[in-house]
Amino acid sequence: MRALQGLRGPRAPSLPLLLLCFLAAVRRSLEDGLSTAAPFTSLPVQEEMMTEYSNLSLESHNLSVTERPNMPAEKNITLERPSNVELTCQFTPSGNLNAVNVTWKKGDKLLEDNYLVNATGSILYTQYRVAVINSKQMGSYSCFFGEKKQQRGTFNLKVPEINGKNKPLITYVGDTVVLICKCQDCLPLNWTWYSGNGSVQVPIGVPVNDKYVISGKHANETRLKITQLSEDDQGTYWCHAIFELGESEGHVELVVLSYLVPLKAFCAIAAEVVLLVAIILLFEMYTQKKKKPSDDGKEIEQGEQLKLDDSNGIENSGPRHRKNESVGQ
Amino acid sequence: MAYRAEPPDGGWGWMVVLSAFFQSALVFGVLRSFGVFFVEFVAAFEEPAARVSWIASIGIAVQQFGSPVGSVLSTKFGPRPVVMTGGILAALGMLLASFATSLTHLYLSIGLLSGSGWALTFTPTLACLSRYFSRRRSLATGLALTGVGLSSFAFAPLFQWLLNHYAWRGALLLVSALSLHLVACGALLRPLSLAEDPVVGGPGAQITSLLCHGPFLRYTIAITLINTGYFIPYVHLVAHLRDLGWDPLPAAFLLSVAAISDLVGRVASGWLGDAVPGPVARLLMLWTTLTGVILALYPVAEVPTGLVALTVAYGFTSGALTPVAFSVLPELVGTGKIYCGLGLVQMVESIGGLLGAPLSGKGNRISRWAMAAVFYHAGGGGEGN
Repeated sequence: MRALQGLRGPRAPSLPLLLLCFLAAVRRSLEDGLSTAAPFTSLPVQEEMMTEYSNLSLESHNLSVTERPNMPAEKNITLERPSNVELTCQFTPSGNLNAVNVTWKKGDKLLEDNYLVNATGSILYTQYRVAVINSKQMGSYSCFFGEKKQQRGTFNLKVPEINGKNKPLITYVGDTVVLICKCQDCLPLNWTWYSGNGSVQVPIGVPVNDKYVISGKHANETRLKITQLSEDDQGTYWCHAIFELGESEGHVELVVLSYLVPLKAFCAIAAEVVLLVAIILLFEMYTQKKKKPSDDGKEIEQGEQLKLDDSNGIENSGPRHRKNESVGQ
Repeated sequence: MAYRAEPPDGGWGWMVVLSAFFQSALVFGVLRSFGVFFVEFVAAFEEPAARVSWIASIGIAVQQFGSPVGSVLSTKFGPRPVVMTGGILAALGMLLASFATSLTHLYLSIGLLSGSGWALTFTPTLACLSRYFSRRRSLATGLALTGVGLSSFAFAPLFQWLLNHYAWRGALLLVSALSLHLVACGALLRPLSLAEDPVVGGPGAQITSLLCHGPFLRYTIAITLINTGYFIPYVHLVAHLRDLGWDPLPAAFLLSVAAISDLVGRVASGWLGDAVPGPVARLLMLWTTLTGVILALYPVAEVPTGLVALTVAYGFTSGALTPVAFSVLPELVGTGKIYCGLGLVQMVESIGGLLGAPLSGKGNRISRWAMAAVFYHAGGGGEGN
């Protein structure tokens, strides 16, 4: 379907005149409500499409394209279900408005219709409408302004992102683990799990068995429960969410350790403690033997333990005696 | 009989300080950094955070309530075997916790078992320290207690690293190995017999005489009141800051700043307590009054610089009062009865600690600080014998 010739971007010198006529025609409708998206009169083409897909929701997105190249104008749009999408770019040229060339591209392919151009004051607006019904309409749409130095604005249409886990999950042999993938506010049609060995992805749960159980409490998450873990189960697990408009995936990394790993560390530290205690007690017995029992005055404390061994029945010598025995053990 | 006339004030005493340093690190540092594990427990057992935090509460409660037991045993047997047994119990609790299948299992193994292990370590060690020092007692206590602050810094990232590499079961196993070092610390506690020991008699007699001792009872009540107010600021500071519009990261950073000034306060006050002549109780009054005043100023301060200054000051003064609080006791009851005395004080003050945080939760933002300030002033006033 071809649009009316005069409403495509100004490509031939005669077109600016037509554009001016168009401007005059819509100026009155533009007088109010310029703060929102520039109101365009709809094309007959678009009206047809709207009636066909009128039960779909409408999403509008705007971008402001500037002449500063180091700030690329880009917007990411998350779409989950089929809808009508309206993409509007606005541009303030330094020179003459009418000399600016406006084009739209999807990826690298030039788009020929379904877009409008409008100019208000010193701002140039262009709008592209598309009915997104399957994955073929997803991708990057770009609006281009100018002929010598092209300024560009990009809209990226994507399906919702899935979050797995960034840190690897540590588990032990024989344990059970639950891998969770979820997305923020989305409702996928279906979830599938794959285990990845290198670049090959093997589906899980296809022959249904006890080891893998796929479930999910809410529609926006999926859980893969793996029982009887072994070291072969180590690796990366991928969860795929299937939408009407495409697929999205997340990943979780699983590490399976054997109990010996922390146990060895534990035994090493325990051995070190035993060594420390032995050193301390041996040192004390060594210094006791060095001190003579007849030393009076300040340094009695070690010597008197030897004295108490052979002496009298003062109440406190009882516990000291017992203490010596426990120390000697 | 060959008993020492007075504490050695040095020599092996510094090894006891070292032992006390590591013990306060391994007991309170572990307790304070345990919050890192709680996140994992919430996910692993699918229980709400409030129920998981009971693990630490039970551990602290058992540690403080069980202090008299530690005191009695160390009066009878000396600190060394008691602390070594406590270390084994604490490590055993963590070891069993690594096999846990339910939250109750964790309550019993970490809360009850490790808690009783900790009860047998901390009090006897501090008491032993007081027996080894007289002129430099405050400094020694202050240095030993810095172990708490430093370990809170070190253990939180360490525990997180352990969790990232070994998951919570392996990490608990390794924390158990870490707690075994309490046994080594216990081995350092060489028994010391002082001249007063035969006079004061066995533990039963000591406890009865303490309970009839007027100044001791006043001291206990004062410490309990202070303890009631002690935890309130720590519990509510971050919430208070968030209410005033602070982001979580700067608020947490301010807590770290408070911890640092707490550390500095402990050592400085320890040194000061020994350098200044006269009864140490006056210093305790000074620090508690200052802390109370600072807390009363909190609701008024809204400007960030004011809050930072207040927090640094609060950290300093509340850290400063801890070594002095411990030093007052030997002066009151004498080094002979120190084990039992400390045990009793810890048990009673824990009631204050347990009540303080929930009580303050009932008030609104401003009344909490007022409550804390009141407790501090009351405690300080009680010290003015």
